[in-house]
Amino acid sequence: MSSSPVAGPAPTGPTSGTGTGATGRHAPDRPHGPGRRAPRIRPVSAGARRGPRRRVARYWPQYLAISPYYVIFTVFMLFPVLYTVFLAFQKWDGIGDMHFVGFQQFRFLWDDPVFWLSVRNTLVIWVLSTVPMLFMALVLAVLVNSTKRLTAFYRVALFIPSITSLVAVAIFFGAVFSNNFGLINAILRALHLSAVPWMSNEWTIKLVISALMTWQWTGYNAIIYLAGLQAIPSELYEAARMDGAGPVRIFRSITIPLLRPIILFTVVISTVTGLQSFTEPQVLFGSEAATNPNSGGPGQAGLTTLLYFYHQAFDNNDFGYGAAIVWAFFLLILLIVVINWRLVQRKERRS
Amino acid sequence: MNSRNRKRLRGLSVHLVLMTGVVISVFPFYWIVVMATNTSQDIYRYPPKLWFGDHLLTNIQHLFDRMAFFGSLSNTVIVAVSTTVLVLFFDSLAAFAFAKYDFPGKKFLFGVLLSMYILPTQLAIIPQYEIMVQLGWLGTLKALVVPAAANAFGIFWMRQYTTTSVPDELLDAARIEGAGFFRLYWHVVLPCVRPALAFLGIYTFIAAWNDYILPLVMLVDPSRLTLQVALAQLYAGHSTDYSMVMAGVLLSVIPLVLVFTFFARGFIADATKGALR
Amino acid sequence: MDLSRRRFLQAAVLTAAAAGATAACGGGSASSGAKDSKNLSLWYWSGGLSDKVVGDAKKHFSGISLKTSVVGGDFKTKLLTGLRAAQSAPDITGIKGEDIASFLPNADRFVDLKTVGADKLVPQYLSWKLKQATTQDGKLIGFPIDIGPCATFYREDLFAQAGLPTDPTEVSAQLATWDDYFRAGVELHKAVPKTFLVNNIGSVFTMVVGQGTQRFIDEDGRFIGDQDHIRTAWTTAVKPYTLGIDAKINDNTWNAAVSGGTLGTEIGAAWHALDISNAAPGTKGKWRVASLPGGPSNLGGSFLAVPATSGNPEEAFKIISWILGPENQARGFTDAALFPTAPAAYKLPALTGGDAFFGGQKTIEIFGPAAEKIPTAYEAPADAAVSAPFYSELTSIEAKGKDPDEAWKDAVAQAKQIAQRQGVK
Repeated sequence: MSSSPVAGPAPTGPTSGTGTGATGRHAPDRPHGPGRRAPRIRPVSAGARRGPRRRVARYWPQYLAISPYYVIFTVFMLFPVLYTVFLAFQKWDGIGDMHFVGFQQFRFLWDDPVFWLSVRNTLVIWVLSTVPMLFMALVLAVLVNSTKRLTAFYRVALFIPSITSLVAVAIFFGAVFSNNFGLINAILRALHLSAVPWMSNEWTIKLVISALMTWQWTGYNAIIYLAGLQAIPSELYEAARMDGAGPVRIFRSITIPLLRPIILFTVVISTVTGLQSFTEPQVLFGSEAATNPNSGGPGQAGLTTLLYFYHQAFDNNDFGYGAAIVWAFFLLILLIVVINWRLVQRKERRS
Repeated sequence: MNSRNRKRLRGLSVHLVLMTGVVISVFPFYWIVVMATNTSQDIYRYPPKLWFGDHLLTNIQHLFDRMAFFGSLSNTVIVAVSTTVLVLFFDSLAAFAFAKYDFPGKKFLFGVLLSMYILPTQLAIIPQYEIMVQLGWLGTLKALVVPAAANAFGIFWMRQYTTTSVPDELLDAARIEGAGFFRLYWHVVLPCVRPALAFLGIYTFIAAWNDYILPLVMLVDPSRLTLQVALAQLYAGHSTDYSMVMAGVLLSVIPLVLVFTFFARGFIADATKGALR
Repeated sequence: MDLSRRRFLQAAVLTAAAAGATAACGGGSASSGAKDSKNLSLWYWSGGLSDKVVGDAKKHFSGISLKTSVVGGDFKTKLLTGLRAAQSAPDITGIKGEDIASFLPNADRFVDLKTVGADKLVPQYLSWKLKQATTQDGKLIGFPIDIGPCATFYREDLFAQAGLPTDPTEVSAQLATWDDYFRAGVELHKAVPKTFLVNNIGSVFTMVVGQGTQRFIDEDGRFIGDQDHIRTAWTTAVKPYTLGIDAKINDNTWNAAVSGGTLGTEIGAAWHALDISNAAPGTKGKWRVASLPGGPSNLGGSFLAVPATSGNPEEAFKIISWILGPENQARGFTDAALFPTAPAAYKLPALTGGDAFFGGQKTIEIFGPAAEKIPTAYEAPADAAVSAPFYSELTSIEAKGKDPDEAWKDAVAQAKQIAQRQGVK
């Protein structure tokens, strides 16, 4: 899906150069003069035969310009990621010596019920949040798109939750869903219903975390859908209406198919961020028990895989095991993203 | 009922649903103010107080007793501002090179950049921690700023914008006057890409301001924490003074919401474009 | 937002300057070669030391600039990071009682306090407590702040409503065993339906384990968490859940529960009194202290240590021994409910006097005898990690209604695996 063109001066794509190509061809023969700089903009293969080393040297400003990212990336991302692979085959407490243990950490992982519990928790929380989130976002987007009044206000108001700090939001939800006080239980009581111990039941804990994520990201997704909706030409709708199609029919046969790439995008993003939930349970169930910090609350119901990783690595200082957990989990995320992608793509082909 | 009335009714119900969404979105901010201006005992009681109290100053006083608020605030500002400035500079510079030049290895390098975008930071965090130990940066703000000083998303976003909105004619004209790469960047590219920089800047600032896991792992000294970590620690433990914590939540959320609502319109338009590419 | 280039450049320069300044300010004590720094930092956690005594220490050591930091969050995790962050490592640090064992294998990260003057003071302190911070080759890495003799804190007014005994001596006598205690809890809950006996069953488990002389790993490094002593503690802990007198509080609402009368009793160490009085100032005078059912137990009791990177170990230990001198320990007891580790303090008026929060009760009459009879058990470095699944599975019973026997099997299986990962036989 290509968006509406970005505002600014007339878009001049890479193919719209005027005459620079010609100057470029002369460049090697005229090392001095104004033409000397021209090839940089559109270097043409003709000039490239002079020997790769000189050619590379000529572009030193460009390499210098992109080097900060690659230096930072190599030092703080690529090397660490590879080192994490190495660590997953070691036993290491972070202070003493490392011991090579082969695949032992992965064998532990396979047999560790808490790891699988954490994967289950993560998946349940992800489904409980993503499905209602994207559904409500679509509804809100369609509604905003159907009206002309107050749209700017709606956009801002719906977007605000997504820029609010997760820590603040988690503390807020902790207070509102508190077992012994809290607004939600007060409302239930006012309705003569019995209070729910939200923070001490296996399922309600997951509900609270999912509600938190839904609150935070529904508006954001709605705004993205809205942008997609606005890119759908209104003639299509009018034509459909002429053919006598009702609103539901129009929604299903025009809106959804044309929006599919954007839905795919939001699904992928929500998958990647949703599966990485960490801050929510970490803040909500912080270090409640001095003997057992970051265990994800009662029944470990809020123990997501990343929280388990953090607990093993930084509470228990079992860095080798932590590395194994986080790698296994990354592969799992990849798998799920690929499955999602395939599902949405196949539907697209069918329709 | 004639068709005009029905139409009006439908419009009304649309706004009713949307307003419900708005209320749900904004309600927490109201309720945070309610909790931050009442005492903890007011929060615990039934029925709860639904309106603002007059204990905000006392709660803030308690907050300042328990945490170095201004220290944390200034740490957060230092981290967010330095990260933002560095990201804007490095990303737009790299984007210019990618957008307007064909240098050997460009395709490969850009491909690396795109594919690495999906690597989650957690995958790198243990070795990052060790690297910071080796560099002697553990516990300092550098451990947060330097790894975040340039990123794939920003380069990608700026490249798209630079490609389409920096006219080649303008670059050629400047070149004829003898401008080199960096002068072109400074005098031609930067003025053209300001709208895109503004979005990237706000985006980076918000992300840096709200970051939690990296400061949680890297920082220890209470006087060197960022707001998010300091707040989470106030909340941790079973004896939480809610009104005090809510005062902290309120103070930490205000600056960001203000910054955001000020720039909101353009930001949202740009955010969606970023998503649609 | 319109970002002018000049602004941009200014900001970049400012940033570079700020980064430089951060680095410059970061020059900590650790980097100095000579160990005679006059700027020392002290880390502890909220309630870990008496703030008043710490404040006085700053005045008393006028030649030293003592910077104190109250570190929040998981103290052990923070300390481990601090020890590795040369620039922000503390010169003196607290270590929690439950963590001390896990630091022993890395004793070289701390100064052997016997080399800086502790050897002369050792006889004045409880020997079993010192032993917890002593390595096998005799290095002392921590000096004891307090011990955690345990007791039952109970609401006298609620006990009266339920027709239960109210006098501490009578309560101690009649609630002598865990079963007595639970029976009283059932009566209490019947009479005052909103009131429960225990906040969660993990706390009961902690107490019963602490009453034994063995924990989860024996001195030969063998896992013994599946044996009878732990199984008994488990069975005892599950009882209040089955009887419906467990408040199942595992979140941040403990505060509200204590002040709102949801909890009729609290079982915990002496220092727990501070938690209660902080959480529920409105209940002042309504609480009393009685002996713990089933005999004395110890929970926690922390240490002060000097990291090897400390800028001035000699002076650091002088500060430690001043803060932990008998007189100041007595003040620590009144101010922060820290039960002294120097027996000389037990006879001081601060301890023998009454406590207004407990209706003027002389709590030493309960804690004193409990402290004398504390059972000592070997605590292995991996003990805390290995015990974790037991606590998690207890909360599973509370949160999901998991069958206690099944929970026990799962806990043992997980503990065994963690033991294996941690290198326990």
